[in-house]
Amino acid sequence: MRLWNILRLRLRTLARRERVEEELDRELRFHLEQQAEENLVRGMPPGEARRAALRKFGGYTQIQEECRDMRRTNYIENFWRDLRYAARMLGGNPGFTAIIVLTLALSIGANSAIFSVIDGVLLRPLPYPHANQLARVFFHSSTYAKFPLNPFDFRDFRERLTSFESLAGYTRGDRQLSGSGRPERFLGFQITAGFFHTLGLDPARGREFTRNEETEGNGRSVILSDRLWRSRFAADPTILGRKITLDAEPYTVVGVMPPGTQHPGNEYHGVAQGETVDVWTPFTLRGDPNQRGSHYLEVIGRMKPGVAAPQAQAELNAVIAQVRRLHPDALEGWSALVFPLYQEIVGPSERLLLVLLGAVGLVLLIACANAANLLLARATVRRREIAVRAALGAGRSRLVRQMLTESLLIAGIGALLGLAIAAAGVRVLVALLPADFPRAAAIHVNAAVFAFTALIALATGLLFGLAPALQAVRADLQDSLRDGGRGSTSGGTQLRLRNALLVGEVSLACILLIGAGLMLRSFVNLLRTDPGFRPDHLLTATVALPDKTYKPVEMLHFWTRLSANLNSVAGIRAAGIGTDLPWTGWDDNIGGLTIEGKKPPAHQEFHARYHVASPDYFRAMGIPLVRGRFFTDADTMKAPLAMMINQAMARRYWPGEDAVGKRITFEDHPKETDWMTIVGVVGDVKDRPESPEAQNSMWWPVEQSPVYVGQMSVAVRGNSDAAALTGDLRAAVHQLDPTLAVADVRPMNDIADANVSTPRFALFLVALFAGLALTLAAIGIYGVISYSVNQRTHEFGLRMALGADSGDVLRLVLRQGVRLALLGVALGLVGALALARVLWNLLYRVSVADPATFLTVPLVAIAVALLACYLPARRATSVDPAHALRAE
Amino acid sequence: MGKPADLLQGTLDLLILRTLALEPKHGWAIAKRIEQASEDALQITQGALYPALHRLEQQGWIRAAWRKTETGRDAKFYELTRAGRTQLRKELAQWERLSNAVGLVIRMEEG
Repeated sequence: MRLWNILRLRLRTLARRERVEEELDRELRFHLEQQAEENLVRGMPPGEARRAALRKFGGYTQIQEECRDMRRTNYIENFWRDLRYAARMLGGNPGFTAIIVLTLALSIGANSAIFSVIDGVLLRPLPYPHANQLARVFFHSSTYAKFPLNPFDFRDFRERLTSFESLAGYTRGDRQLSGSGRPERFLGFQITAGFFHTLGLDPARGREFTRNEETEGNGRSVILSDRLWRSRFAADPTILGRKITLDAEPYTVVGVMPPGTQHPGNEYHGVAQGETVDVWTPFTLRGDPNQRGSHYLEVIGRMKPGVAAPQAQAELNAVIAQVRRLHPDALEGWSALVFPLYQEIVGPSERLLLVLLGAVGLVLLIACANAANLLLARATVRRREIAVRAALGAGRSRLVRQMLTESLLIAGIGALLGLAIAAAGVRVLVALLPADFPRAAAIHVNAAVFAFTALIALATGLLFGLAPALQAVRADLQDSLRDGGRGSTSGGTQLRLRNALLVGEVSLACILLIGAGLMLRSFVNLLRTDPGFRPDHLLTATVALPDKTYKPVEMLHFWTRLSANLNSVAGIRAAGIGTDLPWTGWDDNIGGLTIEGKKPPAHQEFHARYHVASPDYFRAMGIPLVRGRFFTDADTMKAPLAMMINQAMARRYWPGEDAVGKRITFEDHPKETDWMTIVGVVGDVKDRPESPEAQNSMWWPVEQSPVYVGQMSVAVRGNSDAAALTGDLRAAVHQLDPTLAVADVRPMNDIADANVSTPRFALFLVALFAGLALTLAAIGIYGVISYSVNQRTHEFGLRMALGADSGDVLRLVLRQGVRLALLGVALGLVGALALARVLWNLLYRVSVADPATFLTVPLVAIAVALLACYLPARRATSVDPAHALRAE
Repeated sequence: MGKPADLLQGTLDLLILRTLALEPKHGWAIAKRIEQASEDALQITQGALYPALHRLEQQGWIRAAWRKTETGRDAKFYELTRAGRTQLRKELAQWERLSNAVGLVIRMEEG
């Protein structure tokens, strides 16, 4: 009952405001009249009785206001009134409003967009249960920071694990599916038993592989992705147990994974983390446990709850020590590295994203300073208005509330617009993201981003609303009323605050400009660096030969014939076949080489990346011959074993000597026929464009290859457009075998582009933010100087009346602006020097204190400051002295 | 006329509720009644009275209605609600306890 009454009253107060106000007035008037009557009765003359009653009553409007306060709903009412008032004020000054709202919208929008990316990539947990227990296991040596394992090393680890619940290995194994429809290659992995169990995933149908399937001859099972099951098998519910044809061999489907099954990402023949993989087949443990030079198995483990990576790593190193007691030669120089999966996936982009967040945060700060500056300027203009309202009985808190409402309204509109910008921006960002960016699929504007935006908007509103509001209220009432905000008595604190804001803006903008400058220099360096091959006019593709239909020796013949056929096509200048393409993920490694007449340094071994190449491979790639000769058609199975190496290897192992003619073998006790002779040295190609140096590399001729050559990359060089060669390439392959799929057809330029897409992305955004920051700072300078010119009209008039010419006045104004800008630039340079260190591993061959950048940026900033000052300064010179003096 | 004693915080609410317990009254009458009953020791300023009335109304302890006075003029009359009577009993009990306690302390020296 009581609650109902209360509610009814409040509603009445809100809904029937005039009525309630009128009643309040009548009630108070009644009291006054009673008092006056009493005074009359006491014998006062009528006029005096009334005046005395009024005197006794005290501040009529104050009592009214207090009664309204008591009705509580006052807050809501006042808020509405303030809001309407604010809307009127802002609407009355559209230019001013547009600038503030736009600056805020742009910066809030940019912040939300970047935050969306950060939320999707960094903050959201990995799509595996208890993902923090997952860790990648690598080998580590003085040469290689992170290296895959040999399958037998993995087996040793798995047999002895204690701090891991489970451990699983996986390695790339794409499969060609034939049968119904055209043959098609699918991204695949060979996985050990318990791979999905380790990830915490279960097949939607069927089971995953068992240890039994790891033994040679038992590996004819396959697990399909949901996508493949639906697209190629029409979601057949009876798929389990069915035989399908992969690489021309029958495989039994034993499981189908649910939608959303994400590959944990890998580096060796890398596939990005995400729903990228369609086929899983069992990994087969084969070979000689004493030959452990070959490292290609990537390992992932689930640590027991409460176990941290260092502990697991110490345990694996203990295992290595045990193994070395059994096989003294094995694992020389290697130690184990346990790396949390989250860091492995997200780590490389973490710094980039945080740098972007920092950059966009600076933009927001500048926007806030700008808005505060503009509001301050206006608050000064409005001093008279505020003073009048205060004199009419508006309380200080009431005035501050009014000012805050205005700021919040601006921030609110800015946030709404910003959210729209963010929604559009995120879409653009995701489109711009490098193809291999981790977790790009998880990025979209969501509730967290909404919350973040709202928070920024609120904080911004309070931040830049509070300063002018307090300033305005603190101003001396009498003073303001007397000179009405005109004249030159603009408060000293006011001016200092505004100058400080301006200096801050300029310095922040400088920091961003320097960041952008450094990244630009780095990017240019990256593009200018000779890649070591020529990607223009080059088309690449992958062709795989099924083991079932091709015996090893037939594979060798196939490649030889394909190479010959392609090289006879009219439009093709050179066609090469090789196990690897540059910049597509690094290649197989081998350690424990024996070099004739040399001994490796203690605790190290001779090692190199190994590849297979056809005679024209290097010519097609545009990799130059430095010494000796290329492979020729004469380097056949029957010929003496030949080998090519890169310059990096020649320099490391034969410093100051000619490597051509030197001999290498894998055998510890070689026979004469085991030696391979180096016939040529080619130029270096680094693993990635930004790698500090090239790794040792060596090549075998196709026909002499000791390794599996069932899958090769084909590269054809034409005279112009690479894509135009697609038809010729397919025709040449299908002429030899129409059942083969020609996969991954793409110009080498695309591959090269993809490799610089991350720095390009970063550069684009930082440059965008820096441009935004500079524009905002310029607006800020313009605002402050132009306001100050208005304030000093009288002074300028006086000066000109006393003989100063327009040049003097121009210099006067410019000096004022440039002095502030110089201070800002100086602070900015110091700040940039301190902050640039966060960029160090995002930069390529640029010092974080790059002199060119640190010299150019101040010049640009000063030039822009001059420009921003020039317009108001011109206005100052056009002051008519007579007019200005009269106006006073 | 001596300077009227400042009213303790919250005491004004109690006085208003107590005054209204007898019959509905308008603001002027409430002030007059309190002054008379206290033999002019308590002077109620309008600046305190009307905000207090509006607050009590908002809290649901009293309600208001426009009625004719004896002289035939319109005035806003306040009366206690049922909740207001309960509140008055509570506040009276509290006041008794407080004044007893204060009295005990004050008389301590004499005893």
